[in-house]
Parts: sequence; structure tokens; C-alpha cells
Amino acid sequence: MNNFIDAFYLNFIKDERWKYITGGLKTTLTVTFFAVIMGIVLGFLVGVIRSTYDKTGKLKILNALCNVYLTIIRGTPVVVQLLITYFVIFGSVNINKVVVAVIAFGVNSGAYVAEIIRSGIMSVDNGQFEAGRSIGFTYGQTMIHIILPQAFKNVLPALANEFIVLLKETSVAGYIALEDLTKGGDIIRSRTFNAFMPLIGVAIIYLLMVMIFSYFVKCLERRLRNSEH
Amino acid sequence: MKKIIAVAAMAAMVVSMTACGSKAADTGAEATAEAVAATEAATQTAETTEAATENVAANGTLIMATNAEFPPYEYREGDQIVGIDAEIAQAIADELGMELQIEDMQFDSIIAAVQTGKADIGVAGMTVTEDRLQAVSFSDSYTQAAQVIIVKGDSAVATPDDLKGKTVGVQLGTTGDIYAEDIEDVTIDRYNKGFEAVQALLQDKVDAVIIDREPANVFIEENEGLKVLDEEFTVEDYAICMAKDNTDLLDKVNTALASLKESGKLDEIKAKYITAE
Amino acid sequence: MNTNYINGQPLIQVTDLVKSFGELDALGGVSTDIYEGDVVFVVGPSGSGKSTFLRCLNRLEEPTGGKILFEGIDITDPKTDIDKHRQKMGMVFQQFNLFPHMTIMKNLTIGPMKLQDKSKEEAETEAMRLLERVGLADRANAYPSQLSGGQKQRIAIVRALCMKPDVMLFDEPTSALDPEMVGEVLSVMRDLAEEKMTMVVVTHEMAFAKEVANRVLFMAEGKIVEENAPKEFFEHPKTDRLQNFLSKVL
Repeated sequence: MNNFIDAFYLNFIKDERWKYITGGLKTTLTVTFFAVIMGIVLGFLVGVIRSTYDKTGKLKILNALCNVYLTIIRGTPVVVQLLITYFVIFGSVNINKVVVAVIAFGVNSGAYVAEIIRSGIMSVDNGQFEAGRSIGFTYGQTMIHIILPQAFKNVLPALANEFIVLLKETSVAGYIALEDLTKGGDIIRSRTFNAFMPLIGVAIIYLLMVMIFSYFVKCLERRLRNSEH
Repeated sequence: MKKIIAVAAMAAMVVSMTACGSKAADTGAEATAEAVAATEAATQTAETTEAATENVAANGTLIMATNAEFPPYEYREGDQIVGIDAEIAQAIADELGMELQIEDMQFDSIIAAVQTGKADIGVAGMTVTEDRLQAVSFSDSYTQAAQVIIVKGDSAVATPDDLKGKTVGVQLGTTGDIYAEDIEDVTIDRYNKGFEAVQALLQDKVDAVIIDREPANVFIEENEGLKVLDEEFTVEDYAICMAKDNTDLLDKVNTALASLKESGKLDEIKAKYITAE
Repeated sequence: MNTNYINGQPLIQVTDLVKSFGELDALGGVSTDIYEGDVVFVVGPSGSGKSTFLRCLNRLEEPTGGKILFEGIDITDPKTDIDKHRQKMGMVFQQFNLFPHMTIMKNLTIGPMKLQDKSKEEAETEAMRLLERVGLADRANAYPSQLSGGQKQRIAIVRALCMKPDVMLFDEPTSALDPEMVGEVLSVMRDLAEEKMTMVVVTHEMAFAKEVANRVLFMAEGKIVEENAPKEFFEHPKTDRLQNFLSKVL
């Protein structure tokens, strides 16, 4: 027990090392939050373009561009994308690393969200489309008022899962010297040469965040289910 | 002979498993317990082997942990890990009649690897610091190294004092990282690799990089527009780290180092990699 | 009503309408005129193209050939804003296709509010009036999944009516219903016919066709084989094909 307390003191209390954890947590949450927003916006856009092409054969060029985007993003590791964003795309600019991470993770997440949204749109019965169009709604209006709300509800669990994955994936942000939660633990590890405390501490914090998030998603799902029967 | 090694290996496994078992009960001491177990096992192996085979040249394998991204001390050339440290370790292994095996890992994992017995020695251009002495023991110094400051040719930073309030790039867990924290109002960008810090400097993402003298010289040679400040940031000793209680190995390594110094082999190796400025 | 539309002209004028799905010809040149107040029933064996014909009228299916003039305007012309004209062509589907994520009231008012700039109040008053007529005013705040099939189809009809259409298209409106619910839907349609709503109905309800239609079309293999007033149509079919068909379904 004394050893445990000593190790805890050494890793978290001494030299205010806990600040690496709290600071890192803040960065992780900031990056995840904005990357999720960017992923949703991008994913909706790409998902709608792709399913419009699937359904109507229109937007051929945009669809081809989206396909290139999806292929590249889904075919390369997120770490490599992050490094490319930092050292190549923003190679000659001095840009805030949080912004770089948000862009890299947002663009990455967008690709996965797009495919989720597309599957959601395709899962809505075609009769819904026809009903919307027969009233006189344009394709876009039908999408916004009729299809997407239903699609969103259908894919909510998959979307939630994607955001949990994203939260955990931001742990590679340390590659661009961004001090996220994982890097915070790594810095402590490099000072104390103790693997257990910093790593387990970091793991517990990730786990708690995921559990809290999952809980809220469950509540939201239940509410959406109640609104329809 | 084979049988004896097998028995010893088994004993080692049992000991380390017991050590793992105790982890659950007393998690804080886990690293130490494992290290002790591993060392015990290693000693046991060495003793039994030695007793049985007095005059055999191969006294087992010497496992060296390093981070092969630190030229000219250790870096990859094709499939090989080469550099000053690699050759010194090879020379020591030769002196001890052992086979050298190099394990490449993250720099900040080296001490843990040595502590837990995953490696026998850590040779990675590692500076002796108070913190590290808490965790491992160090051999005699085999070379002196300076932490220097790399800046762009047109930089306003001329002395270590000018780093106040600046953004400094370092490699996580290196001496530069640890000492950089003492600079006033500094922002430290901790990269996983030294060359990435230099890349960030080239891209104006940091104002300066604090890194060891030798790799710094390589970096400025290969990248135009960079220079090393004349005044060193710090000067320190490089040494080989080992698990704390492995005094037997410590003695052997120190003896080997002394003999290499005497024969001039050590200087020879350094000269091979570090060209005179 | 559209000002370009000249009185005495057909409301919908279909000329040589062709629709092929790849190699398959679903419609092989269909021509007919539908006048204001017409209640036209389209019958025929399955695969005869009658649903495709109906769905081409508001371009839910894109015709591959021929022409459709609606209120004097060629709606097969790609330059025509079909969305504008669809507002004037109410459509009722076999599977109801109510919007499951909206209340009944929202189902009924979303079109008028978003497309015809009606205020919420205006749209809801009109929706309520129509709901009362079909006897479902008490279900305004329910969701579609809480309704029976017959109720859903009555709501679907009301949803189309809320847009104040000039013609109503029915695509087998009772085929997906349990037998005991068919009557309530037919009764709403009967009321509409009596109010002189122009209607085109694809159905298998022969007795209902005989009672309500003023003209019946018989389609087979993508063509109109015979058309006539209901009494003549059912009692004195001229072609062998229709005689054969009626002998099976009556």
C-alpha cells in the first residue's frame, strides 16, 4: 500500500505532474469535440452526395471526388494523415497544433461518418422519397425534412460508435507534439520511468469518458424511440 | 548443457510469473518486483551456465535496448542498427564473450526495458541524471555530450538566455526535454523523434531545438539554413544503464569499457562517426 | 388553376407515352385525355404497366418517350419545374408512405407550410377541417405507427388534399389493407368523386370502379387495350382480352 501511495505521489503529485494529465485531457476533449462537429458536417455532405448519386445518378463528378476522398482516408492510417496534415499540408505555416489535429481528425472522421450516413439514407424506404417528391418537395427538401431525420435515427448507434473511436484515436495526437491525454501520460512516464501509474491512469480516464458518452447516447436513443413508437 | 538452460529458463518463467501474480496484490511495486525477478533469473542462468561450461566463448546473449533514431549514436543503415553506441556495445560484448542483440524501441521505454529485464543494457546516448539514477544504475561515462541549441541561420536567438518565452522543440524524454523545462516562460513541443523537432524548426513551428551535439551536427549538415549556437545549453556524461541490482554486469561492463579506453578502441569508434568540425 | 390552361382542353393530355426499363418496355405508347372532373379507373393484370402509367403522370417514373401536357404545359420537358406541378397532383400510395417521424398534423401541414407559404395556423385549420371530414380529427397528435392501415390511408389522402391539388392519383390505395378496412378508404374516395375531384385510380376493386368511375381503361402489356364508360366496360367488353380478364376477376 505504501508503495502504491509512493508511486502515486511520484507520478501525479510530485512536481505538479497531474497538470500533464488535466492539460492533456482538456486538449483531448477540445480536439475531439471540434473534430466530431467537423466530421458530422463533412460526413453529412459527402454521405448525401454519395446517396444522391446512388439514387438518381446525378452529381457524377462530385461523387467521384467523394470516392477519392473516402478511398484515401479509409485506406491510410490516421497517424500518417495527421503527420501529413502537420508536416506537409501545413508544412510552411506556423499553425496552432490543436487546429491541425481538429482538421486531421475531422477529415478522417468525416469519411467514416459519410458511409454511416449513406447507409442510413439507403435504409430509409424509397416510398418516403416518393411521398416527399409527390407532395412537391425538391430532392433537397425531401432529404432535409423527410429522409435525414429518419436516417439519423437509424444510424445513431453507429455514429456514437464512430465518435467513441474518434475520441480514442486522438491519442496519436502526440505525434505532432500536441500534449493530449496520452502524451501527458507519456511525459510523466519519461520523467518517472514508471509505466504502470501513468498508463493505467490515462486508460481509466479514457474509459470513464467513453462510459459517460455511451450513457448519454443511450438516453438520446431512448428519447428518439419514444417520439415514434 | 541444453538441459540446464531449459531448466533455468523454466525457473525464470516461474519466478516472473510469481512476480506477475504479486502485481495484483501490490501494484505500485510491480516494476521493481519484475525487475528483481528477471535479474534473479538472469543471474541464475549465468551462474549455472558458467559453472557448466567454463571455457566456452559464447557466454550467452547481451541484449541492448536503444532508440535507433539518434545519429550518430544509433541509427538504421539498411537493416542494420549502427552508430557509436552500437559499436561500443559490440566491443563490450566481444570483451565479455557474449553475443550482442539490439532491441530498437521508443527512447522513453528503454529504462523500463532494462528495469524489467527485457534488456540487459541500455545504450542510447543516455545522459546520467538524478532522476534516472533513481531507476537504474549507470556505467562509467564513455563519452561527454553537450546539449546544444539549433536555430535557423537568421534567428534572433544567440545564447541560451534568449530562449526565454520562446517555443522550443525537443525529443520527448531526452535530456533536452528535461532541462528545457527550466527555461523561463518557455513552450516545449515534445516530438517523438529528434528529426521531427528539427523539421518543425525548418517549418518555423518552433524557434529552436535543444538536442545532443552529435546528432545536431548531422542535422545541420543535412539541412541548409540551420546553425548550432556556440554556447552549449548543457554538458553531460553519456553512460550505459543497467538494472540496479545487477552489480555483476555493472562491474563487467565497467571493466570492458576501461579496457576499450586503454586500447584506444573507444576513440577509434567515436572518430569513425564524428568528423572533426 | 394555371392561366395557360384553356377551358375545354383536357386537364392531362397523354400522347404516345413510352417507358422502358432497359430492354423491357413497361409502356409501349399510351395516349389518353383526362378532363376536369373525370374519374378514370385503370385496371388490368399485374405487370400490365398500369402503375407505371400512373407514376409517369407526375414523373415519379421518368418517361422515356412521348408527351404529357398537364394544364397545357409539357411536364416531360426537362426544363419544366416538375416540383411546382407535383403540388397540383396529389398522390396516394399502396403503402401509405406517411412520414413516421412526424405527428399526423405535421404530416399534413409540412407541405402547405414549406411549399405554399401557409402560416402554421392556416395550414392547421385546413388540415383539421379535412381530418374532421374523414373522421380522424382526434388523431391529429398521434404518430402514424399508432394508426390502423385504413386510418393511415385516409390520412395519406388528406395529406394530398391539403395541397389543394387539381387531380388526385391513386396507386392501388386499398391493396395493402385488411379487407375490413377497405370500405372506410373507398368511402373517402367516393366522397371525393362526388365533389367532382379529378381522379386517376389504379385498382383491383372492380365493383368500386363500376360504381364510381365515369371511364375505365383496361391495360395489358403496356398498352390501353380497351376504354369505355363503366357500364359498357363491365357488361359488354369488346375485346377477348378484357372478356378473359373480367371472367377471372369478377
